[in-house]
Amino acid sequence: MSAQTATDGVLVLVILLNLGMLAVSRLATGVRLFALQSLLLALLPLAEGASETGTPGVHAILIAGGTLGLKVVLIPSVLLRIIRTGEIHREVEPFLGFAASVFAGALLVIGSFALAARLPLPTPPLSKLIVPVALSTLLLGLLTLVSRLKAITQVLGFLVLENGVFIMGLLLLKQTPLLVELGILLDLFVGVFLMAIVVYHIRREFDHMDTHLLDALKES
Amino acid sequence: MTLLLLVAVPLVFGALCLVLPTSPLRMAALVAGAWAHLAVVIRSWPAAEAPANYELVGLDPLGHLFLTLISVLFAATAVYFVGYHRKRLISQRVFQACTLALLSALTALCISQHLGLLWVALESASLAATPLIYFRLGPRALEATWKFLLMNSVGVALALLGIFSVAIATTRHDGVIVLTVADLVRHATRLDPSWLRVGFLLGLVGFGTKMGLAPLHSWKPDAYGEAPPPVAALMAGGVTLGAFAGILRLFQVCSAAGLGAFAGSWLIAFGLLSLATSAVFVVGSVDYRRLLAYTSVEHMGVLVVGVGLGGAGSYAGMLHAMHNMLNKGALFFLAGFLWRLHESNRIRDVRGTLRRSPPAGILLLAALCATCGLPPFGMFFSELGIVLAAAQAGRWWVLGLFVLTLAVVFVGVMTAALPMVFGDPPDAAAVRPEQAPLRPWRRVTMLSAAAVLVALGLGLGACQPPAVREALLRAADSVNRPQAASVAAASVTKVQP
Repeated sequence: MSAQTATDGVLVLVILLNLGMLAVSRLATGVRLFALQSLLLALLPLAEGASETGTPGVHAILIAGGTLGLKVVLIPSVLLRIIRTGEIHREVEPFLGFAASVFAGALLVIGSFALAARLPLPTPPLSKLIVPVALSTLLLGLLTLVSRLKAITQVLGFLVLENGVFIMGLLLLKQTPLLVELGILLDLFVGVFLMAIVVYHIRREFDHMDTHLLDALKES
Repeated sequence: MTLLLLVAVPLVFGALCLVLPTSPLRMAALVAGAWAHLAVVIRSWPAAEAPANYELVGLDPLGHLFLTLISVLFAATAVYFVGYHRKRLISQRVFQACTLALLSALTALCISQHLGLLWVALESASLAATPLIYFRLGPRALEATWKFLLMNSVGVALALLGIFSVAIATTRHDGVIVLTVADLVRHATRLDPSWLRVGFLLGLVGFGTKMGLAPLHSWKPDAYGEAPPPVAALMAGGVTLGAFAGILRLFQVCSAAGLGAFAGSWLIAFGLLSLATSAVFVVGSVDYRRLLAYTSVEHMGVLVVGVGLGGAGSYAGMLHAMHNMLNKGALFFLAGFLWRLHESNRIRDVRGTLRRSPPAGILLLAALCATCGLPPFGMFFSELGIVLAAAQAGRWWVLGLFVLTLAVVFVGVMTAALPMVFGDPPDAAAVRPEQAPLRPWRRVTMLSAAAVLVALGLGLGACQPPAVREALLRAADSVNRPQAASVAAASVTKVQP
């Protein structure tokens, strides 16, 4: 199997996982799906590196390792821990129903493919799917972020959005200095860590993790 | 060496804040850190030649100007903290360490020439600012923190995508183009224009969220209203400048690539929308810190309109950035003072400051006049400069909307705030007994920090030392769209007295 078909397959799976995350109501399942998606994405820099030189370089291995440690192991375990210690395990009454959000998600995927077709890349990439999959992952993350109530799900939406940016970054493995990539990973980690702390405080303050009670601040 | 010192000094003092045993020592470390940083910044003037094409960090005119502004603001705020400080629930060590970490991150942002590094620094700055907003604990601060964290994280993620798009635009060229501003500008004509457009727009949305441009400003009144006022001062005067620097870097690349008109009109659109939004929300405001937050949205709008117009507008934009820092610093310092006196954010609880504390009343009146752009304060000249630039470019719609919204904001701010200055102070019975009287030395420290900034705003408005003027002009030149450079320099001399 060539690197290109492998990449294509992985990217298709990534979209399916995105839609799956929109459909599940159990918070823990959502986190596991995110971990699986990140695992698939961690493999991509290796495929990208291998397609050019035969063996992935140090740069690609470091990025894959960092993603693996951070997004597959560390962040999901922190999120799962919060869910386990909390009382509520399900997303209840989202703004947009589960079926409706999957439908909206499918529309967004179609939209991203249409948009990507109008933005040709200057040089042919490893896989033509990279730009549309990146865009749809980003948009579906945004959809999760705005349509769900639980703070945990909103964090998950942000992480999916970040995964979309990561896929786009695959096009640029050569251009980006390692220092910058590691900085990005570090910032992501600290950001999610802070979010976890705030979620914990929200739960302590309000006895649950709904964000719709966070509406005291507005123009009166 | 200087660059390393600039980033490291606040970090070292921040670490000291974490380990020092007593509160006065930690406070001393905070002040020392901020002032040592200012000293290094002042020693770095005048800047050496522009950074080379491949250097990741360096002092270019724009970054150097912003770095200096941010450093002055932090030095003033550190002094103000000494007077403002009180025991709160969150650890004081963490608070001070985060303040200095924020200074370090903003420094890294101003000196970074590489777009990726700039992003990392900006994200670090917003992460360092998050605990500062949560300083007061409780549900309201929690809500503000959550909104800030989530909106800013999404914003900077979009900005990163924008930077990636710019990077994709470079792949059209066969050779390697490093993502430093200088190298991008040098090869600007070889970039792929459609990806560059995408990159600029995503960057504008992303950095604009961080800067608080409408319609992405909704976290701003919450965060500025709930964070301690000195933190709001740092964010309104410092962090916003950092995000603005990000937009300007992309703008520099776009104008070098011949997309200046495209990028400029988007800047003007976002700017006018911000002005209009703040005009809507300022009128009838009941909370003075949220009112100030909306004037911050307004001033961000003024900044991007100025740069978007180009020509004399770029200079006016840089002038406005400087006066915005001085003015927002002073206003939030005074808001903190009022908050300590009245323990309330509501405008109707604060009455007759002029009689209750004459120096604070005079300073508040002066700072309010400055924020509305009345002469002789500096913002009058910068806003006039933008009006003239719009007239010169023949953009009468922009000019009309700009003046109209400024007038509405003026009326809104003055009707809300004049009773705070004049009016009758609440009778002694209404003053809640549990609040401890503010010690005189605390009052003096807080007010003198505000007074220095107000005086600087007044002084730099009336007459500019040649060094300041030179720095502003060079920064304006670097963000100016190329075709109008000579016109700008000529018309600027007319604006300034």
